[in-house]
Amino acid sequence: MSATFDDDDNGPESLSPSVVDGDPGRSYPAEPEDEIEEAPRSRAALSEAEVAAKIRSLEERLDEMIGNADDLPLEDIPPPPPSRFASAKALTPEPDATVFDTARELLSSEFYLRKWGRLGMRNRSEEVDDFGFDPVYEKKVQPIFDFLYERYFRVECEGVDGIPAEGRCLLVANHSGTLPYDGMMIKTAVKREHPQRRDVRWLAEDFLFHFPFLGSFTNRVGAVRACQENAERLLQQESLTAVFPEGVKGIGKLFKKRYQLQRFGRGGFIKLALRTKSPIIPVAVIGAEETNPMLYRIDYLSQAMGIPFIPVTPTFPLLGPLGLLPLPTKWRIVFGDPISFASHGPEAADDEMLVGRLADQVRSSIQTMLDRAVKQRASVWLG
Amino acid sequence: MGSSAPDSPTKNEATAGVTHARGDGGASLRVTREGHGRVVALTGAHSFLGSNLVGLLEEDPRTQRIVALDVEPPATRGKKTRVYPLDLTDPKADTRLAEILAAERVDTLVHLAFLSEPSFASAWAHELESVGTRHTMVAARHAQVTKVVLWSQTLLYGAHPTNPNFLTEKHPLRAPRKESFFADKIEAEAEVSRFADRVPGSVVTILRTAPLLGPTVKNYLTRYLSHRLVPTMMGFDPLLQFLHEVDAIAAFKLAIDRTMPGTFNIVADGVLPLSTVIKLAGRIATPIPHPIAETATAIAWMAQVADAPPSFLKYLRFLCVADGKKAWDTMGFRPAYTTREALLDFTNAQRLRDVHLLQEPTP
Repeated sequence: MSATFDDDDNGPESLSPSVVDGDPGRSYPAEPEDEIEEAPRSRAALSEAEVAAKIRSLEERLDEMIGNADDLPLEDIPPPPPSRFASAKALTPEPDATVFDTARELLSSEFYLRKWGRLGMRNRSEEVDDFGFDPVYEKKVQPIFDFLYERYFRVECEGVDGIPAEGRCLLVANHSGTLPYDGMMIKTAVKREHPQRRDVRWLAEDFLFHFPFLGSFTNRVGAVRACQENAERLLQQESLTAVFPEGVKGIGKLFKKRYQLQRFGRGGFIKLALRTKSPIIPVAVIGAEETNPMLYRIDYLSQAMGIPFIPVTPTFPLLGPLGLLPLPTKWRIVFGDPISFASHGPEAADDEMLVGRLADQVRSSIQTMLDRAVKQRASVWLG
Repeated sequence: MGSSAPDSPTKNEATAGVTHARGDGGASLRVTREGHGRVVALTGAHSFLGSNLVGLLEEDPRTQRIVALDVEPPATRGKKTRVYPLDLTDPKADTRLAEILAAERVDTLVHLAFLSEPSFASAWAHELESVGTRHTMVAARHAQVTKVVLWSQTLLYGAHPTNPNFLTEKHPLRAPRKESFFADKIEAEAEVSRFADRVPGSVVTILRTAPLLGPTVKNYLTRYLSHRLVPTMMGFDPLLQFLHEVDAIAAFKLAIDRTMPGTFNIVADGVLPLSTVIKLAGRIATPIPHPIAETATAIAWMAQVADAPPSFLKYLRFLCVADGKKAWDTMGFRPAYTTREALLDFTNAQRLRDVHLLQEPTP
C-alpha cells in the first residue's frame, strides 16, 4: 500500500493500456513508461523471452519501491481513507479500550453465551447427511479408531482392493464379540486401506439405539439402524453398506461357539442385493470373538433393561464397567471376492427357495474364509 | 380404530397411483364447478395455516369464494371471504356446517381445526379434534362436498427406536395413544379415511406436515426453542426434521388447486441432530437423564406448568423423520427451505423477539 503512495503518478498511466485494450492479461507486462505507446502495436510480436524480461524489470521496480517505503518515516504516510463501513470498524477492538472494558465484557453473560455457541459448533458440521453421519465429528474421533485399529487390535487387512471404487456394494460379515466393535473396525479398515478411502455405512442392531450416548455416537460416525428400508435407501444412494446378517445372535453367542456362523436371518440381505442389484462381498472378521469372551448369558433380567442379554465374561460383572473393555486380541479382516447376482432379476427376491440357497452360498463362503484364517492363526494375541 | 388407521393410507395409495397414471404426473388441474371458480371452505380459518391460506386464496383469481369457519374471523379476510362463526365443539355443529356448505355450494373443504400445541383441557381438545372432525365429515357428506384436504402431522408416526430413518406414508401411526394430543389426531385421520372409503368419487388429500418452523408460526416447537435453556435427554441426540411455514402453506395451496387423492408427507429436505438444532438456535442444551425428566414433566404437566406432556419427551430420544418422496413425485411439491434454513429463519426472528425488537399482535 505504501508503494502506491510513493509514486502514484505511475499508477493511472500504467493502468491505462489494459483498460483501453480490454485485455489486461496480455498488456500487463507493458508497464514501464517507455513501452506504453508501443505496447498495442508490438504486442502480438512479443516473444516469451521479452515477456520474461519485462516481468523481471517489473519485479525490480517493485522491490525498489518497497525498499523506498521502508525508508519513509511513518508520519509521512497519509492516513487511509475513512471506511464507508463504519460498523466494520466498530467490530475490531478499539486500541484504547481500557482494561475495565475488557473486564466488563468478560463479566457479561452475553460474552459466555456467544463463546459457548461458537465452541459448541467447533467439532460438528452444521449439516449431517440423511442418516445422521457427521464428517467433521468423524474426523475428530478418527484418532480413537486409528488407535484401536493400529495399536490395540493391530488389524491386518486382506483383499480390500476387491471393493469397487464406486457404486453400491453390500459387505456381508460375521458378527462377534459381545460388544459390536467389528462394524467400526471394518469401517476404519476401508477408510485407511482402500485406495478410494470409501466411507462404510454399517447397519447396527436396534438395541444400540435404546442406549444413551452409544446410539447417537455410532449414528454420528456412520452406523444406521438395521432395517430393510434403511439398507435399501443406503444402497440406492450408491453407498458401501456393511450388514451383519447374524444380528444379535452373532454377538450373543457363547465363547465355546466362536467362529461358528449362526443362522443368517431370513435371507434379508440377499433380497436386498437382488432388489438393488448390488454385488455382495463376504467379509470375515477374525479376532473379535475373543475380545469379550462370553461364558454365560443372562436373558431374563435384560428384557426389562431393553438390551438383548447381559453378558458374563471373565471380567465383566467382576470388574464393573471396566470389565467391558475389550481384550487386546490380534485382528484380521479378510474381504472376499465380489459375488454378483446380476444374472437373477429383481423379481427373484420373491423366490424364497432361491433366496435361501443364495444366502447359504454366501454363508458358507464366509465360514470357509473364517476356518482358513483361524487355522492359519498361531496365537490369539499375536496372530 | 387401531387397525383402520394403518390400512386406510394404503387404500388411498392405490387411488393416487391411478390418478398418477392418468393425468400426467398427477398435475391435472381441477375442473371447477360452474366455471366461475372454486369455492373453498376452511375450518380453523383463524389458525396460522387457515389465515394464511385465506390470504393466499383471496389473491387467486381462480377462487370464487372463501368460506371461513372458525370461532373468530381471520385477519386476512378480504372481499371474497364470507365468515361464519362456527364452534366445532358445539354438538349441533354438524347440522350448521352442512347448511353453510350447502348454501355456499362449497366444492373444496380444508379441515385445519386442530391444536398446534398440547392443551391442558384434554376433554375439550378431544371434542374439537376427534368429534369435530366427525362433525365436519358428516356435514361434508350431507352437503355432497367431495374434495377434502386434511391437515395431519408426521408426529403421529411416533418416535420409536425401531423406526426406519425415513418413514413412508405406508408406515402405521404409532404415536402414544394414551396421549390425547396424538390419539385425537389419529382418530381424525381415520375418520377422514372412512369418508374417503364411503363417499364415491371423493378426493381426499391428507397432508402430514413435519413440525412447522418459521418466523411467524407459533407452536409447541417454537415454544420449546424459545427457552434460553433447552432440556434434552442425556445421551440421546435424535435427528430432527422441520418444515418451513411457507412451504406448508404452499403444500396446502397445491392440494387445493390439484386433484391428488392420498396421504402425503410434507417435509423439508435434510435432517439435523437435536444438539445442532439447539446450537444453531443459539440456546443452551441442558441434558437431563430421561427417567428423571419423565417424572418431572409428568408432575409439571399435572400442575399445568409444563409446555408439553411427558409423552413428547420420546421425540427428544428417538427418530421420527418422514420421507417426502411421494409428495415430490406425485404432488410436485418442492420445499423451498431445507430443515436447516427453516431453523435459521425461525432463529433470526426469534433473536429479534428475544430483545423485544419484533412487535407482534398477541393472538
